[in-house]
Amino acid sequence: MNVIVGRYINRNSWVHRLDPRMKILSLIILMIGTFMTSTLINMLWILAGVFLLILTSKISLLNFIKSLVPLLFLMTFTFVFQVLFNKQGPIISTLTLNLSFITILLNVVVIIGYQILKRFRIRGFFWFLLTFAFIIYLYTLNLGTPFKIINLNLYRDGLTFGLFLLVRIIILVSASSLLTLTTKPADLNNGLERLMKPLKVLKVPVDEMSMMISIALRFIPTLLDEVNKIMKAQASRGVDFASGNIKKKVVQIVSLLVPMFVISFKRADDLSNAMEARGYFPGMERSKFGILKFRFSDYLTILFSISFLVGIVYFDL
Amino acid sequence: MGIEFENVNYKYDKRNAKYAIKNIDLKIDSLNEFICLVGHTGSGKSTLIQHMNGLILANSGIVKVSGSDVKKTRNINSVRRKVGMVFQFPEYQLFEETVEKDIIFGPTNFGVSKKEAILKAKEVAKLVGLEQTILEKSPFNLSGGEMRRVAIAGVLAMEPDILILDEPTVGLDPKGQREMMELFKKIHQTTKKTIIVVTHDMDVVSEYSTRVIVMKEAEKKFDGLARDLFLDQKLLEELNLKKPTYIKIAEKINKKLNRNYQIGCLSLAELIKEIVKGE
Repeated sequence: MNVIVGRYINRNSWVHRLDPRMKILSLIILMIGTFMTSTLINMLWILAGVFLLILTSKISLLNFIKSLVPLLFLMTFTFVFQVLFNKQGPIISTLTLNLSFITILLNVVVIIGYQILKRFRIRGFFWFLLTFAFIIYLYTLNLGTPFKIINLNLYRDGLTFGLFLLVRIIILVSASSLLTLTTKPADLNNGLERLMKPLKVLKVPVDEMSMMISIALRFIPTLLDEVNKIMKAQASRGVDFASGNIKKKVVQIVSLLVPMFVISFKRADDLSNAMEARGYFPGMERSKFGILKFRFSDYLTILFSISFLVGIVYFDL
Repeated sequence: MGIEFENVNYKYDKRNAKYAIKNIDLKIDSLNEFICLVGHTGSGKSTLIQHMNGLILANSGIVKVSGSDVKKTRNINSVRRKVGMVFQFPEYQLFEETVEKDIIFGPTNFGVSKKEAILKAKEVAKLVGLEQTILEKSPFNLSGGEMRRVAIAGVLAMEPDILILDEPTVGLDPKGQREMMELFKKIHQTTKKTIIVVTHDMDVVSEYSTRVIVMKEAEKKFDGLARDLFLDQKLLEELNLKKPTYIKIAEKINKKLNRNYQIGCLSLAELIKEIVKGE
């Protein structure tokens, strides 16, 4: 199951050993920093810094690339949008597209070929991009007599700002991945609880919220298991989850949701009884098993993070 | 016709060396068999039965349900209709507003008209021992045992050729367990349909089965009569199985009271008969 939570990878690195509170704070500072930066060069420097952190965290780069994959579309879209529509600064290069009957015909052939190949499981984002690039290439060739010529201009600012946004997304995603990959969900929750503690003054139920989060995290795999079982049970009663029109889809979802609700409520009931039997009372002060303690490296990290922010402000503004 | 397995293998994780089931050859008739499927947790029982109605497709080998290859059939529902599957804790699959609606859910999915399905629902409700008045009630207001009967009725209403039950007595009290097993015996006797029961209870195996299949570490280790299994001391030890109560009783009487009863009694009736004969 490819779920965001519980992606923790156990390694022995200094990033893993850091206090979760420090890591969360540093991540927030880093995010503020990336939003305050306004030049591509500075952004690339931050990226280099994040890259260094990733290398020293002993976690394979592959994991970070994986976390970027779901955002591939967003990233490409932002980049292409900037390149096409940002018309500031000098023109770097020009792409001349010749629209002729032959090229349009070839274009149609390529699209049909793409659709046919799709059926043989040859698909995916990169394959789509490749086809797209090939189509653009087709138009740049001087085939037939063009009835229309389009000049696509590439402006310098468009390119740099496109790259700027791209790098910003990469930094944000990989830095937050670094936090979830190097911190156990329980520690993360613990750290969040501690950081939010001051909110208690405003009558925010911080303890209860953190308890809810940890229970929710704990039960995600269990509930996924149950969903699987119920799906199988309904499938043997003739529910085809893979297909069906809207009316059937509604029945499919209802046949899954109702049992899941019943199961969740029953589990919640059992769990609350078990917790009460062990003396849990909402709002009451509880002692902690894992007490978080700042160490020298933690102070060093927060000091570095703050000086980083100051540096950004100094160099950028 | 029934179900045929030819050298079937399956792994949950293809990169992993661990098989869920390995080299399974099996032939199950659709009539007159009462099969108990035995094995420890993780031995591959559940994987095996899920192959029987196409919930899992084999990595290699052929699974045939009434002659047609499960992997190659266009309409998997035709397989699922022939092999009715009742999962562990089937009461959790109920979701409709009334018991009747839940029972006809399966048949209507397979294209049976609503009218026919309702008639069928009344029939199966009676078969599993539910009152007719219950049909209008919400399934969530019933007791656990009743809910389980409703769920079983929902599968029976599909009129499968073969009925598979995954630990149907789990979570019931001893009386409820006994009633449940008697119910399956009754269904088996009235319809003659083959029933496959996954169980950990050796008493169930000894009393009800006409055939036992034992799974261990993904492989089929025994396939035959309960008597042959329980009288083979070495095999029992190898498979980590216990003896059923009545065999234990017979052995104990023989030892303590110095008698010479046959120890192959598989039910209370047989044991009493044996003792009466001996005295």
